[in-house]
Amino acid sequence: MNLHALTEAIYLLAAVLATLGLALPQPRLSRAAVVALAGGALVHAAAFFQAHEFRIPPHVSGLPGAVSLAAWLGTLFFLVLVRRPRLRGLVVIVAPAAFLGVFFGSGGLAPAAAPTEVPIWAQAHVLLASAGFALLGVAGGAGALFLVQRRSLKRKQSGSRSRALPPLEALDRVNALAISVGFLLLSLAVVTGVLWTVEREGRLWPGSPHASAALVAWAIYAALVASRWLAHQGATRAAQSAVAGFAILAAAVVGVGVLP
Amino acid sequence: MGMNHRTAPLALREHYAIEDVAPALTKLVDRDVITEAVLLSTCNRVEAVACAPRLEVARGRLRSFFERDLAQGPPPDVGASLSDALYEHSGPEAVRHVFRVASSIDSMVLGEPQILGQVKDAYRAATAAGSCGGVLTRLFQHAFATAKRVRNETRIAERPVSVARVAAELASEIFESMADKCALLVGAGEMTELALEAMRESGLSRVRIANRTRARAEALASRFDGTAHDLEELPELLAQADVVLTSIGGHEPVVVRQQVERALHGRGHRPLFVIDLGVPRNVDRRVDELDGVYLYDVDDLGRVAEANAEERRREKIRAEAIVLEEAQRFDGWLAALAAVPTIRDLRNRAEAIRSRELERALARLESADSPREVLEALTRGIVNKLLHAPVSRLRAQEDREQGLATLEAARALFALDEREPEALPSQDEEPEGP
Repeated sequence: MNLHALTEAIYLLAAVLATLGLALPQPRLSRAAVVALAGGALVHAAAFFQAHEFRIPPHVSGLPGAVSLAAWLGTLFFLVLVRRPRLRGLVVIVAPAAFLGVFFGSGGLAPAAAPTEVPIWAQAHVLLASAGFALLGVAGGAGALFLVQRRSLKRKQSGSRSRALPPLEALDRVNALAISVGFLLLSLAVVTGVLWTVEREGRLWPGSPHASAALVAWAIYAALVASRWLAHQGATRAAQSAVAGFAILAAAVVGVGVLP
Repeated sequence: MGMNHRTAPLALREHYAIEDVAPALTKLVDRDVITEAVLLSTCNRVEAVACAPRLEVARGRLRSFFERDLAQGPPPDVGASLSDALYEHSGPEAVRHVFRVASSIDSMVLGEPQILGQVKDAYRAATAAGSCGGVLTRLFQHAFATAKRVRNETRIAERPVSVARVAAELASEIFESMADKCALLVGAGEMTELALEAMRESGLSRVRIANRTRARAEALASRFDGTAHDLEELPELLAQADVVLTSIGGHEPVVVRQQVERALHGRGHRPLFVIDLGVPRNVDRRVDELDGVYLYDVDDLGRVAEANAEERRREKIRAEAIVLEEAQRFDGWLAALAAVPTIRDLRNRAEAIRSRELERALARLESADSPREVLEALTRGIVNKLLHAPVSRLRAQEDREQGLATLEAARALFALDEREPEALPSQDEEPEGP
């Protein structure tokens, strides 16, 4: 059985259910979307480890594999969060993101023709960067939903759809948690990336566009985290920052990676 | 038969409302006219749901029941008489009405949840009084299942339509949990108290009350298990509050932008939900421009309530379809129930023929006739006697149209147009073992 195609299909189903659950709005569909997403995460794990010959940690070295891994880790993070039923509405962001991640990262799930040994720092760098990317993605998603929910409340347009989304306070809490842990993981990814470069090239900085873009994204997140925790940034500004920060990070890491 | 908020003014409904239904049910139900009954008496309706073999007689009996047994003294002078107020439904319409009432489609506030509990109470009271038999038990059980289906499959009861409940629901769109939140009540009014009640039902525990009159604040504080404060303490109270409800007299705003701005700095940018129910308004409109502050006045809440009511009205069409479907299902059961005496008589007749023919066959066996001949005669006798009456009726039809209808009925009853089964299953037949 092609586990990769199955993962894509299940995530797509979850995304469709989540979208319908919000559009109709129908809580049962949102619940079904969460169940489908959990099923997708299981199949995704199986597909991933099968593709990487059951190595723990998997020997992910390329960008597609890292994006696929990030999609899986983001889904797992959401499944931990969703134990609080009022956060279920986040599925409308997480399910399509998981599908896109797997779709884009299909190369990382394809069985390796000739498995190669990946250096330990490289493995650590990819794992930490993927986890950080996933959490910052969830923070961005929570931030986007916060802005939608806030807009409907400020415009006095509360309706069934607003009720289907998580409350503002919960979204802000997810945003704060995900951005803090995500930034920490991203920082560790930068450190391990430097160590990998030293081991490989004998110098601190590789000077590649990917490294430069990632450092810029890290600096932006450092500023966001500082303004959130030290300058007591408000929830709305924090949500806007999380969305903008993730857009920059995605452009820096994925965009630079796919550009010729 | 009954009256509700659409057909009778409150004064008239009050006049016929009843608390203890058991004695009234005992008077109403007998063996001949009303065989089963349930009395539903709420603030919006007084209804008797009855099961009776003869409609006209039951109609008179129910009318006199309202006039004599339910009326509390002489009728009030409210410009409406009992005959104008009473409506009646019978047969499938009555079934549909009971299902609509239980599903809250017939309620004053569409989709309100209380009516189902009230119908259940009425059914329980009738069961306890012994006035609820097989038909009404089945009817009410089916009505409860229908109401559950309507609630699960439509959004008729999903969004609140009262201003107080809307305020509580909006609070739940801002806050994840009300358990750790603090509400500040500025002034007092019926609507603010109702909104506070609704939030307390959602788990709100801490309440602070600030009023111009200290005594009034203390009275409310003891009622809501909160603390009483003077209006001068407002700036400090705002910094601690998560929800602010205002309803206080005066033409100048009591809560101004600068006060809220200062309060926001001292509260770590936690969101603040301000519900201004004062007319004239108590809160400076510019407060709504502040980040993290959500200000709703009476009109804002009213608009949300109206939008919710509109959504319920749209859902009513789907709810009516469910009710109709379930009512038809119940009618099917009722029709099957009506066939029970005929089926019983038919079986008794067949059984009598079988017994007689068996006696005769046993007697012939004892007189040493051949068993084959005896069995031939036995089975032929049973068939002839069973078919004698229907065949005679079919031959004796004089009216051509009725004759054709009877012939058609016979073909349908005996499945003459279907392929003959090779072996008809016997009711007593046990499946063969291996």
